[in-house]
Amino acid sequence: MTTTVPVTAAEPAATPAALLPPGLVQSRRMVWTTRIIGMAAAVTVALTVWLGLWVTPPDKVQGDLVRLVYLHPGVAWVALYLAFGLAAVASLLYLWPRTRSLFWDRLAAAAVEVGVVFNVCTLISGSIWGRPTWGVWWAWDARLTLTAVLLILFLGYLTLRRVPAEPDVRAKRCAYAALFAAVDVPLVHFSVVWWKTLHQGATVLNANLSPEIHGSMAWTLLLGFVALTLVFVWMLLVRYRIGALEDHLGSGELEVALLERRNEGAEAAR
Amino acid sequence: MWRDTVLVAGKDLRIEIRSRVALSQVVPFGVVALALFAFALGPDRAPMAKAAPGLFWVAVLFTTVLAVQRSVSVESSDGARDGLRLSGLDPAGQFLGKLLSVAAQLLALEAVLAVGVVLLFGTRIEAWWLIVASCLLGTLGLAAAGVLYGALSAGLRVKETILPFLLLPVVTPVLLAGTRIWQAALAGGTPSYGSPWFHLLIAFDAVYLALGVVVYGPIQESA
Amino acid sequence: MKYVDAGYGIVLGILFLYGVQLVWRRRRWTRLVARVEASRPPADPGTADR
Repeated sequence: MTTTVPVTAAEPAATPAALLPPGLVQSRRMVWTTRIIGMAAAVTVALTVWLGLWVTPPDKVQGDLVRLVYLHPGVAWVALYLAFGLAAVASLLYLWPRTRSLFWDRLAAAAVEVGVVFNVCTLISGSIWGRPTWGVWWAWDARLTLTAVLLILFLGYLTLRRVPAEPDVRAKRCAYAALFAAVDVPLVHFSVVWWKTLHQGATVLNANLSPEIHGSMAWTLLLGFVALTLVFVWMLLVRYRIGALEDHLGSGELEVALLERRNEGAEAAR
Repeated sequence: MWRDTVLVAGKDLRIEIRSRVALSQVVPFGVVALALFAFALGPDRAPMAKAAPGLFWVAVLFTTVLAVQRSVSVESSDGARDGLRLSGLDPAGQFLGKLLSVAAQLLALEAVLAVGVVLLFGTRIEAWWLIVASCLLGTLGLAAAGVLYGALSAGLRVKETILPFLLLPVVTPVLLAGTRIWQAALAGGTPSYGSPWFHLLIAFDAVYLALGVVVYGPIQESA
Repeated sequence: MKYVDAGYGIVLGILFLYGVQLVWRRRRWTRLVARVEASRPPADPGTADR
Protein backbone atom coordinates (compact mmCIF):
# COMPACT_ATOMS: atom_id res chain seq x y z
CA MET A 1 0.00 0.00 0.00
CA THR A 2 1.66 3.20 1.08
CA THR A 3 5.03 3.79 2.61
CA THR A 4 5.33 4.03 6.36
CA VAL A 5 2.95 6.46 7.89
CA PRO A 6 4.74 8.98 10.07
CA VAL A 7 3.54 8.41 13.57
CA THR A 8 3.20 12.09 14.30
CA ALA A 9 0.59 12.36 11.59
CA ALA A 10 -1.75 10.16 13.57
CA GLU A 11 -2.83 13.01 15.82
CA PRO A 12 -2.68 16.12 13.67
CA ALA A 13 -2.73 19.55 15.21
CA ALA A 14 -5.83 20.45 13.25
CA THR A 15 -9.04 18.74 14.25
CA PRO A 16 -9.60 15.41 12.55
CA ALA A 17 -12.71 16.80 10.96
CA ALA A 18 -10.61 19.16 8.91
CA LEU A 19 -8.85 16.27 7.25
CA LEU A 20 -11.95 14.59 5.89
CA PRO A 21 -12.33 14.13 2.18
CA PRO A 22 -14.45 16.76 0.46
CA GLY A 23 -17.48 14.54 0.14
CA LEU A 24 -17.69 14.01 3.87
CA VAL A 25 -17.03 17.41 5.31
CA GLN A 26 -20.00 18.67 7.23
CA SER A 27 -21.07 22.18 6.52
CA ARG A 28 -20.69 24.59 9.42
CA ARG A 29 -24.42 25.06 9.32
CA MET A 30 -24.99 21.38 9.87
CA VAL A 31 -22.51 21.20 12.72
CA TRP A 32 -24.09 24.17 14.44
CA THR A 33 -27.63 22.97 13.81
CA THR A 34 -26.79 19.72 15.50
CA ARG A 35 -25.20 21.51 18.43
CA ILE A 36 -28.08 23.91 18.88
CA ILE A 37 -30.66 21.17 18.74
CA GLY A 38 -28.64 19.22 21.26
CA MET A 39 -28.52 22.15 23.62
CA ALA A 40 -32.21 22.87 23.16
CA ALA A 41 -32.94 19.25 23.90
CA ALA A 42 -30.91 19.32 27.08
CA VAL A 43 -32.56 22.52 28.25
CA THR A 44 -36.11 21.39 27.56
CA VAL A 45 -35.51 18.03 29.20
CA ALA A 46 -34.13 19.73 32.29
CA LEU A 47 -37.11 22.05 32.32
CA THR A 48 -39.50 19.12 31.98
CA VAL A 49 -37.85 17.32 34.85
CA TRP A 50 -37.99 20.39 37.05
CA LEU A 51 -41.63 21.05 36.24
CA GLY A 52 -42.59 17.43 36.33
CA LEU A 53 -40.94 16.47 39.57
CA TRP A 54 -41.35 19.62 41.62
CA VAL A 55 -43.54 22.33 40.23
CA THR A 56 -46.64 20.45 39.14
CA PRO A 57 -49.08 19.15 41.72
CA PRO A 58 -49.87 15.49 42.21
CA ASP A 59 -52.97 14.13 40.55
CA LYS A 60 -56.20 13.64 42.46
CA VAL A 61 -56.50 10.01 41.46
CA GLN A 62 -52.99 8.86 40.74
CA GLY A 63 -51.05 10.98 43.15
CA ASP A 64 -47.41 11.38 42.37
CA LEU A 65 -47.51 8.60 39.78
CA VAL A 66 -48.90 11.02 37.29
CA ARG A 67 -45.44 12.57 37.04
CA LEU A 68 -44.42 9.64 34.88
CA VAL A 69 -46.99 10.80 32.38
CA TYR A 70 -44.70 13.65 31.48
CA LEU A 71 -42.14 11.19 30.18
CA HIS A 72 -43.88 7.99 29.20
CA PRO A 73 -46.23 9.12 26.41
CA GLY A 74 -43.41 11.28 25.09
CA VAL A 75 -40.97 8.40 24.65
CA ALA A 76 -43.80 6.24 23.35
CA TRP A 77 -44.75 8.81 20.75
CA VAL A 78 -41.14 9.09 19.61
CA ALA A 79 -40.53 5.37 19.51
CA LEU A 80 -43.78 4.20 17.98
CA TYR A 81 -44.71 6.99 15.66
CA LEU A 82 -41.83 9.30 15.02
CA ALA A 83 -38.95 6.85 14.77
CA PHE A 84 -40.82 3.99 13.24
CA GLY A 85 -42.87 6.16 10.93
CA LEU A 86 -39.77 7.92 9.73
CA ALA A 87 -38.00 4.62 9.15
CA ALA A 88 -40.96 3.31 7.15
CA VAL A 89 -41.26 6.43 5.01
CA ALA A 90 -37.51 6.62 4.44
CA SER A 91 -37.44 2.97 3.43
CA LEU A 92 -40.24 3.55 0.96
CA LEU A 93 -38.41 6.51 -0.49
CA TYR A 94 -35.34 4.38 -0.90
CA LEU A 95 -37.28 1.66 -2.68
CA TRP A 96 -38.99 4.13 -5.01
CA PRO A 97 -36.66 4.34 -8.00
CA ARG A 98 -37.04 8.05 -8.55
CA THR A 99 -36.04 8.96 -5.02
CA ARG A 100 -33.53 6.19 -4.47
CA SER A 101 -30.55 7.43 -2.53
CA LEU A 102 -28.44 5.96 0.23
CA PHE A 103 -29.40 9.02 2.22
CA TRP A 104 -32.81 7.48 2.88
CA ASP A 105 -31.27 4.17 3.80
CA ARG A 106 -28.95 5.77 6.33
CA LEU A 107 -31.79 7.85 7.71
CA ALA A 108 -33.95 4.77 8.15
CA ALA A 109 -31.17 2.90 9.90
CA ALA A 110 -30.50 5.83 12.21
CA ALA A 111 -34.19 6.18 12.98
CA VAL A 112 -34.51 2.51 13.80
CA GLU A 113 -31.52 2.42 16.10
CA VAL A 114 -32.61 5.49 18.03
CA GLY A 115 -36.15 4.16 17.96
CA VAL A 116 -35.05 0.97 19.68
CA VAL A 117 -33.58 2.97 22.54
CA PHE A 118 -36.78 4.97 22.93
CA ASN A 119 -38.81 1.80 22.64
CA VAL A 120 -36.93 0.26 25.54
CA CYS A 121 -37.54 3.44 27.51
CA THR A 122 -41.23 3.17 26.69
CA LEU A 123 -41.42 -0.37 27.96
CA ILE A 124 -39.48 0.43 31.11
CA SER A 125 -41.43 3.57 31.96
CA GLY A 126 -44.68 1.80 31.18
CA SER A 127 -43.71 -1.10 33.37
CA ILE A 128 -42.68 1.16 36.24
CA TRP A 129 -45.97 3.00 35.97
CA GLY A 130 -47.85 -0.27 35.83
CA ARG A 131 -46.34 -1.78 38.95
CA PRO A 132 -48.01 0.45 41.52
CA THR A 133 -51.07 0.91 39.33
CA TRP A 134 -51.83 -2.67 38.38
CA GLY A 135 -49.64 -4.44 40.88
CA VAL A 136 -47.56 -6.21 38.24
CA TRP A 137 -44.36 -5.37 36.40
CA TRP A 138 -45.76 -6.62 33.15
CA ALA A 139 -49.26 -7.01 31.83
CA TRP A 140 -50.43 -8.15 28.45
CA ASP A 141 -52.01 -4.81 27.96
CA ALA A 142 -52.64 -3.99 24.32
CA ARG A 143 -50.24 -1.06 24.24
CA LEU A 144 -47.39 -2.78 26.02
CA THR A 145 -47.76 -5.85 23.86
CA LEU A 146 -47.75 -3.82 20.68
CA THR A 147 -44.67 -1.95 21.88
CA ALA A 148 -42.95 -5.23 22.63
CA VAL A 149 -43.75 -6.65 19.20
CA LEU A 150 -42.53 -3.44 17.61
CA LEU A 151 -39.28 -3.74 19.54
CA ILE A 152 -38.71 -7.21 18.15
CA LEU A 153 -39.46 -5.98 14.65
CA PHE A 154 -36.97 -3.13 15.10
CA LEU A 155 -34.34 -5.52 16.42
CA GLY A 156 -34.91 -7.77 13.42
CA TYR A 157 -34.16 -4.83 11.17
CA LEU A 158 -30.95 -4.06 13.05
CA THR A 159 -29.88 -7.71 12.91
CA LEU A 160 -30.47 -7.75 9.18
CA ARG A 161 -28.45 -4.61 8.87
CA ARG A 162 -25.41 -6.16 10.49
CA VAL A 163 -25.15 -8.79 7.78
CA PRO A 164 -22.20 -7.71 5.69
CA ALA A 165 -23.10 -6.71 2.17
CA GLU A 166 -22.66 -4.03 -0.43
CA PRO A 167 -24.35 -0.82 0.70
CA ASP A 168 -27.05 -0.86 -1.93
CA VAL A 169 -27.82 -4.56 -1.50
CA ARG A 170 -28.04 -4.13 2.23
CA ALA A 171 -30.12 -1.00 1.83
CA LYS A 172 -32.61 -2.73 -0.41
CA ARG A 173 -32.91 -5.74 1.85
CA CYS A 174 -33.43 -3.63 4.96
CA ALA A 175 -35.87 -1.36 3.19
CA TYR A 176 -38.00 -4.34 2.27
CA ALA A 177 -37.82 -5.63 5.82
CA ALA A 178 -38.97 -2.24 7.08
CA LEU A 179 -41.81 -2.21 4.58
CA PHE A 180 -42.99 -5.69 5.63
CA ALA A 181 -42.86 -4.67 9.26
CA ALA A 182 -44.66 -1.40 8.60
CA VAL A 183 -47.66 -3.03 6.96
CA ASP A 184 -47.74 -5.50 9.80
CA VAL A 185 -48.06 -2.87 12.50
CA PRO A 186 -51.75 -2.01 12.03
CA LEU A 187 -52.55 -5.71 11.81
CA VAL A 188 -50.72 -6.42 15.04
CA HIS A 189 -52.35 -3.41 16.64
CA PHE A 190 -55.87 -4.64 15.91
CA SER A 191 -55.12 -8.21 16.78
CA VAL A 192 -53.66 -7.26 20.14
CA VAL A 193 -56.43 -4.84 21.03
CA TRP A 194 -59.14 -7.33 20.11
CA TRP A 195 -57.24 -10.07 21.89
CA LYS A 196 -57.62 -8.11 25.08
CA THR A 197 -61.07 -6.73 24.68
CA LEU A 198 -62.94 -9.44 22.81
CA HIS A 199 -62.06 -12.19 25.19
CA GLN A 200 -65.05 -13.13 27.24
CA GLY A 201 -64.56 -13.33 30.93
CA ALA A 202 -61.16 -11.73 31.08
CA THR A 203 -60.55 -9.07 33.65
CA VAL A 204 -59.80 -6.13 31.50
CA LEU A 205 -57.07 -4.17 33.09
CA ASN A 206 -58.21 -0.64 32.98
CA ALA A 207 -55.52 1.00 30.97
CA ASN A 208 -57.61 4.08 30.77
CA LEU A 209 -56.47 5.51 34.04
CA SER A 210 -55.63 8.64 32.18
CA PRO A 211 -55.63 11.51 34.56
CA GLU A 212 -57.47 14.71 34.10
CA ILE A 213 -54.82 16.95 32.73
CA HIS A 214 -55.12 20.65 32.87
CA GLY A 215 -53.23 23.73 33.75
CA SER A 216 -49.57 23.40 34.52
CA MET A 217 -49.78 19.66 34.03
CA ALA A 218 -50.94 20.05 30.46
CA TRP A 219 -48.11 22.42 29.67
CA THR A 220 -45.57 20.10 31.24
CA LEU A 221 -46.95 17.22 29.23
CA LEU A 222 -46.60 19.22 26.06
CA LEU A 223 -43.11 20.30 27.06
CA GLY A 224 -42.22 16.67 27.64
CA PHE A 225 -43.27 15.81 24.10
CA VAL A 226 -41.26 18.67 22.69
CA ALA A 227 -38.21 17.87 24.78
CA LEU A 228 -38.15 14.21 23.82
CA THR A 229 -38.73 15.04 20.18
CA LEU A 230 -35.72 17.34 20.28
CA VAL A 231 -33.67 14.60 21.90
CA PHE A 232 -34.72 12.25 19.12
CA VAL A 233 -33.80 14.71 16.39
CA TRP A 234 -30.39 15.35 17.90
CA MET A 235 -29.72 11.63 18.27
CA LEU A 236 -30.92 11.06 14.72
CA LEU A 237 -28.52 13.66 13.35
CA VAL A 238 -25.53 12.26 15.23
CA ARG A 239 -26.39 8.68 14.37
CA TYR A 240 -26.83 9.61 10.72
CA ARG A 241 -23.42 11.21 10.75
CA ILE A 242 -21.91 8.05 12.19
CA GLY A 243 -23.59 6.04 9.46
CA ALA A 244 -22.21 8.30 6.76
CA LEU A 245 -18.69 7.96 8.16
CA GLU A 246 -19.04 4.20 8.50
CA ASP A 247 -20.29 3.81 4.96
CA HIS A 248 -17.42 5.84 3.65
CA LEU A 249 -14.95 3.53 5.28
CA GLY A 250 -16.95 0.43 4.49
CA SER A 251 -14.70 -0.69 1.74
CA GLY A 252 -11.61 0.43 3.54
CA GLU A 253 -12.00 -1.51 6.74
CA LEU A 254 -8.88 -3.46 6.07
CA GLU A 255 -7.06 -0.21 5.51
CA VAL A 256 -8.27 1.06 8.83
CA ALA A 257 -7.24 -2.07 10.64
CA LEU A 258 -3.80 -2.00 9.05
CA LEU A 259 -3.38 1.61 9.95
CA GLU A 260 -4.30 1.09 13.55
CA ARG A 261 -2.03 -1.91 13.77
CA ARG A 262 0.85 0.01 12.31
CA ASN A 263 0.36 2.87 14.72
CA GLU A 264 0.12 0.49 17.61
CA GLY A 265 3.39 -1.09 16.64
CA ALA A 266 5.08 2.25 16.09
CA GLU A 267 3.97 3.56 19.48
CA ALA A 268 5.06 0.40 21.23
CA ALA A 269 8.45 0.72 19.62
CA ARG A 270 8.98 4.24 20.95
CA MET B 1 -48.71 -15.67 -14.23
CA TRP B 2 -51.03 -18.47 -13.25
CA ARG B 3 -49.37 -20.90 -15.56
CA ASP B 4 -46.03 -20.14 -13.94
CA THR B 5 -47.63 -20.49 -10.55
CA VAL B 6 -48.71 -23.98 -11.31
CA LEU B 7 -45.32 -24.78 -12.80
CA VAL B 8 -43.37 -23.64 -9.76
CA ALA B 9 -45.82 -25.13 -7.29
CA GLY B 10 -45.67 -28.37 -9.16
CA LYS B 11 -41.90 -28.35 -9.17
CA ASP B 12 -41.62 -27.67 -5.45
CA LEU B 13 -44.23 -30.21 -4.52
CA ARG B 14 -42.71 -32.83 -6.75
CA ILE B 15 -39.38 -32.27 -5.03
CA GLU B 16 -41.07 -32.70 -1.70
CA ILE B 17 -42.84 -35.83 -2.73
CA ARG B 18 -39.74 -37.37 -4.22
CA SER B 19 -37.44 -36.51 -1.36
CA ARG B 20 -40.11 -36.98 1.27
CA VAL B 21 -38.48 -34.37 3.45
CA ALA B 22 -41.82 -32.79 4.11
CA LEU B 23 -43.32 -36.04 5.20
CA SER B 24 -40.38 -37.34 7.12
CA GLN B 25 -39.18 -34.15 8.77
CA VAL B 26 -41.49 -31.21 8.54
CA VAL B 27 -44.69 -32.88 9.64
CA PRO B 28 -43.08 -34.91 12.40
CA PHE B 29 -41.49 -31.75 13.74
CA GLY B 30 -44.91 -30.25 14.27
CA VAL B 31 -46.16 -33.41 15.90
CA VAL B 32 -43.16 -33.58 18.20
CA ALA B 33 -43.66 -29.94 19.17
CA LEU B 34 -47.26 -30.65 20.08
CA ALA B 35 -46.27 -33.71 22.08
CA LEU B 36 -43.67 -31.66 23.96
CA PHE B 37 -46.35 -29.16 24.86
CA ALA B 38 -48.47 -31.99 26.15
CA PHE B 39 -45.64 -33.20 28.37
CA ALA B 40 -44.88 -29.70 29.58
CA LEU B 41 -48.46 -29.02 30.58
CA GLY B 42 -48.67 -32.05 32.77
CA PRO B 43 -50.88 -35.07 32.87
CA ASP B 44 -54.11 -33.32 33.75
CA ARG B 45 -56.34 -32.92 30.76
CA ALA B 46 -57.91 -29.65 31.85
CA PRO B 47 -55.02 -27.25 31.32
CA MET B 48 -54.11 -29.05 28.12
CA ALA B 49 -57.57 -28.74 26.71
CA LYS B 50 -57.67 -25.09 27.58
CA ALA B 51 -54.34 -24.38 25.96
CA ALA B 52 -54.90 -26.60 22.95
CA PRO B 53 -55.83 -23.94 20.39
CA GLY B 54 -52.84 -21.79 21.22
CA LEU B 55 -50.47 -24.73 21.22
CA PHE B 56 -51.81 -25.95 17.91
CA TRP B 57 -51.07 -22.62 16.30
CA VAL B 58 -47.67 -22.24 17.93
CA ALA B 59 -46.71 -25.66 16.58
CA VAL B 60 -47.93 -24.56 13.15
CA LEU B 61 -45.93 -21.35 13.37
CA PHE B 62 -42.70 -23.14 14.21
CA THR B 63 -43.29 -25.63 11.44
CA THR B 64 -43.87 -22.77 9.03
CA VAL B 65 -40.34 -21.60 9.67
CA LEU B 66 -39.08 -25.06 8.88
CA ALA B 67 -41.15 -25.38 5.73
CA VAL B 68 -40.00 -21.99 4.48
CA GLN B 69 -36.36 -22.81 5.16
CA ARG B 70 -36.85 -25.93 3.13
CA SER B 71 -38.56 -24.05 0.33
CA VAL B 72 -35.69 -21.60 0.14
CA SER B 73 -32.93 -24.16 0.39
CA VAL B 74 -34.35 -26.14 -2.51
CA GLU B 75 -32.98 -23.45 -4.76
CA SER B 76 -29.83 -22.47 -2.97
CA SER B 77 -27.64 -25.13 -4.47
CA ASP B 78 -26.11 -25.41 -7.91
CA GLY B 79 -27.07 -21.92 -8.92
CA ALA B 80 -30.67 -22.91 -9.11
CA ARG B 81 -31.76 -19.47 -8.06
CA ASP B 82 -29.98 -17.84 -10.95
CA GLY B 83 -31.45 -20.44 -13.21
CA LEU B 84 -34.86 -19.52 -11.98
CA ARG B 85 -34.24 -15.85 -12.60
CA LEU B 86 -33.03 -16.55 -16.11
CA SER B 87 -35.85 -18.90 -16.86
CA GLY B 88 -38.21 -16.07 -17.61
CA LEU B 89 -40.80 -17.35 -15.20
CA ASP B 90 -43.00 -14.58 -13.95
CA PRO B 91 -41.74 -13.68 -10.47
CA ALA B 92 -45.26 -13.22 -9.20
CA GLY B 93 -45.96 -16.71 -10.42
CA GLN B 94 -42.85 -17.98 -8.66
CA PHE B 95 -44.01 -16.37 -5.46
CA LEU B 96 -47.46 -17.86 -5.68
CA GLY B 97 -46.08 -21.22 -6.66
CA LYS B 98 -43.78 -21.38 -3.66
CA LEU B 99 -46.59 -20.14 -1.50
CA LEU B 100 -48.85 -22.93 -2.64
CA SER B 101 -46.21 -25.51 -2.02
CA VAL B 102 -45.53 -24.30 1.52
CA ALA B 103 -49.24 -23.93 2.20
CA ALA B 104 -49.91 -27.46 1.03
CA GLN B 105 -47.33 -28.84 3.42
CA LEU B 106 -48.72 -26.79 6.27
CA LEU B 107 -52.25 -27.89 5.58
CA ALA B 108 -51.16 -31.51 5.63
CA LEU B 109 -49.50 -30.84 8.96
CA GLU B 110 -52.55 -29.10 10.34
CA ALA B 111 -54.76 -32.02 9.46
CA VAL B 112 -52.46 -34.32 11.39
CA LEU B 113 -52.19 -31.90 14.29
CA ALA B 114 -55.92 -31.41 14.50
CA VAL B 115 -56.33 -35.13 14.93
CA GLY B 116 -53.48 -35.05 17.42
CA VAL B 117 -55.12 -32.30 19.41
CA VAL B 118 -58.34 -34.22 19.64
CA LEU B 119 -56.54 -37.37 20.69
CA LEU B 120 -53.80 -36.01 22.93
CA PHE B 121 -55.62 -33.19 24.57
CA GLY B 122 -59.02 -34.73 24.68
CA THR B 123 -60.70 -31.73 23.18
CA ARG B 124 -63.92 -31.99 21.30
CA ILE B 125 -64.44 -29.91 18.25
CA GLU B 126 -67.94 -28.57 17.93
CA ALA B 127 -67.82 -26.33 14.94
CA TRP B 128 -65.74 -27.87 12.18
CA TRP B 129 -66.24 -25.14 9.65
CA LEU B 130 -64.56 -22.66 11.96
CA ILE B 131 -61.54 -24.91 12.24
CA VAL B 132 -61.29 -25.41 8.51
CA ALA B 133 -61.82 -21.76 7.63
CA SER B 134 -59.30 -20.53 10.14
CA CYS B 135 -56.74 -23.08 9.02
CA LEU B 136 -57.15 -22.18 5.37
CA LEU B 137 -56.99 -18.45 5.87
CA GLY B 138 -54.27 -18.63 8.49
CA THR B 139 -52.10 -20.94 6.43
CA LEU B 140 -52.43 -18.67 3.42
CA GLY B 141 -51.14 -15.75 5.45
CA LEU B 142 -48.34 -17.74 7.04
CA ALA B 143 -47.17 -19.05 3.70
CA ALA B 144 -47.29 -15.63 2.07
CA ALA B 145 -45.31 -13.90 4.80
CA GLY B 146 -43.02 -16.91 5.07
CA VAL B 147 -42.07 -17.03 1.40
CA LEU B 148 -41.49 -13.28 1.40
CA TYR B 149 -39.14 -13.36 4.34
CA GLY B 150 -37.55 -16.47 2.96
CA ALA B 151 -36.74 -14.59 -0.21
CA LEU B 152 -35.33 -11.72 1.82
CA SER B 153 -33.00 -13.96 3.80
CA ALA B 154 -32.23 -16.34 0.97
CA GLY B 155 -28.76 -15.16 0.12
CA LEU B 156 -27.57 -14.82 3.69
CA ARG B 157 -25.31 -17.22 5.42
CA VAL B 158 -27.18 -16.61 8.65
CA LYS B 159 -30.52 -17.33 7.09
CA GLU B 160 -31.29 -20.24 9.39
CA THR B 161 -31.14 -18.12 12.50
CA ILE B 162 -32.46 -14.88 11.17
CA LEU B 163 -35.56 -16.20 9.45
CA PRO B 164 -37.45 -17.19 12.61
CA PHE B 165 -36.48 -13.95 14.28
CA LEU B 166 -37.86 -11.96 11.36
CA LEU B 167 -40.90 -14.05 10.55
CA LEU B 168 -42.40 -15.04 13.87
CA PRO B 169 -43.19 -11.56 15.25
CA VAL B 170 -44.75 -10.58 11.97
CA VAL B 171 -47.26 -13.44 11.98
CA THR B 172 -48.50 -12.67 15.49
CA PRO B 173 -51.91 -11.57 14.15
CA VAL B 174 -52.38 -15.00 12.57
CA LEU B 175 -51.52 -16.67 15.84
CA LEU B 176 -53.93 -14.52 17.81
CA ALA B 177 -56.74 -14.79 15.30
CA GLY B 178 -56.34 -18.51 14.78
CA THR B 179 -56.26 -19.16 18.49
CA ARG B 180 -59.38 -17.14 19.14
CA ILE B 181 -61.32 -18.80 16.34
CA TRP B 182 -60.29 -22.23 17.54
CA GLN B 183 -61.38 -21.34 21.05
CA ALA B 184 -64.75 -20.35 19.69
CA ALA B 185 -64.91 -23.60 17.75
CA LEU B 186 -64.08 -25.69 20.80
CA ALA B 187 -66.55 -23.87 22.96
CA GLY B 188 -69.20 -24.53 20.41
CA GLY B 189 -70.03 -20.89 19.98
CA THR B 190 -71.64 -20.01 16.74
CA PRO B 191 -69.43 -17.53 15.09
CA SER B 192 -70.72 -14.93 12.84
CA TYR B 193 -68.80 -14.89 9.64
CA GLY B 194 -68.60 -11.23 10.33
CA SER B 195 -66.36 -12.11 13.21
CA PRO B 196 -63.55 -9.55 13.41
CA TRP B 197 -60.96 -12.28 13.57
CA PHE B 198 -61.84 -13.51 10.12
CA HIS B 199 -61.65 -9.98 8.84
CA LEU B 200 -58.21 -9.71 10.35
CA LEU B 201 -57.05 -12.92 8.69
CA ILE B 202 -58.41 -11.83 5.37
CA ALA B 203 -56.71 -8.45 5.71
CA PHE B 204 -53.44 -10.10 6.65
CA ASP B 205 -53.64 -12.46 3.70
CA ALA B 206 -54.54 -9.69 1.29
CA VAL B 207 -51.68 -7.48 2.43
CA TYR B 208 -48.97 -10.12 2.22
CA LEU B 209 -50.27 -11.65 -0.97
CA ALA B 210 -50.29 -8.26 -2.64
CA LEU B 211 -46.84 -7.43 -1.32
CA GLY B 212 -45.47 -10.75 -2.42
CA VAL B 213 -46.80 -10.55 -5.93
CA VAL B 214 -45.36 -7.09 -6.40
CA VAL B 215 -42.11 -7.31 -4.54
CA TYR B 216 -40.87 -10.89 -4.95
CA GLY B 217 -39.29 -10.14 -8.30
CA PRO B 218 -37.29 -7.11 -7.18
CA ILE B 219 -36.08 -8.97 -4.10
CA GLN B 220 -34.77 -11.79 -6.24
CA GLU B 221 -32.98 -9.30 -8.45
CA SER B 222 -30.79 -8.03 -5.67
CA ALA B 223 -30.27 -11.19 -3.67
CA MET C 1 -42.81 8.40 44.75
CA LYS C 2 -39.77 6.20 44.59
CA TYR C 3 -41.30 4.66 41.48
CA VAL C 4 -41.39 8.05 39.86
CA ASP C 5 -37.79 8.72 40.77
CA ALA C 6 -36.77 5.32 39.47
CA GLY C 7 -38.68 5.92 36.26
CA TYR C 8 -37.14 9.30 35.61
CA GLY C 9 -33.72 8.07 36.59
CA ILE C 10 -33.75 5.02 34.39
CA VAL C 11 -35.31 6.61 31.31
CA LEU C 12 -33.20 9.74 31.36
CA GLY C 13 -30.19 7.67 32.31
CA ILE C 14 -30.62 5.42 29.31
CA LEU C 15 -31.08 8.37 26.98
CA PHE C 16 -28.08 10.14 28.44
CA LEU C 17 -25.82 7.11 28.18
CA TYR C 18 -26.90 6.42 24.63
CA GLY C 19 -26.29 10.04 23.74
CA VAL C 20 -22.79 9.86 25.19
CA GLN C 21 -22.18 6.67 23.26
CA LEU C 22 -23.28 8.36 20.04
CA VAL C 23 -20.93 11.26 20.54
CA TRP C 24 -18.08 8.90 21.34
CA ARG C 25 -18.75 6.82 18.24
CA ARG C 26 -18.91 9.89 16.06
CA ARG C 27 -15.63 11.14 17.41
CA ARG C 28 -13.97 7.77 16.94
CA TRP C 29 -15.15 7.41 13.36
CA THR C 30 -14.18 10.96 12.46
CA ARG C 31 -10.68 10.31 13.71
CA LEU C 32 -10.48 7.01 11.87
CA VAL C 33 -11.61 8.47 8.58
CA ALA C 34 -9.24 11.40 8.98
CA ARG C 35 -6.34 9.08 9.62
CA VAL C 36 -7.16 6.89 6.67
CA GLU C 37 -7.40 9.92 4.44
CA ALA C 38 -4.12 11.27 5.78
CA SER C 39 -2.36 8.04 4.98
CA ARG C 40 -3.72 7.71 1.49
CA PRO C 41 -1.18 8.53 -1.23
CA PRO C 42 -2.46 11.77 -2.73
CA ALA C 43 -1.22 10.89 -6.23
CA ASP C 44 -3.50 7.90 -6.47
CA PRO C 45 -7.04 8.93 -7.29
CA GLY C 46 -7.90 5.32 -8.00
CA THR C 47 -8.32 4.60 -4.32
CA ALA C 48 -10.48 7.64 -3.68
CA ASP C 49 -13.83 7.07 -2.13
CA ARG C 50 -16.64 5.83 -4.34
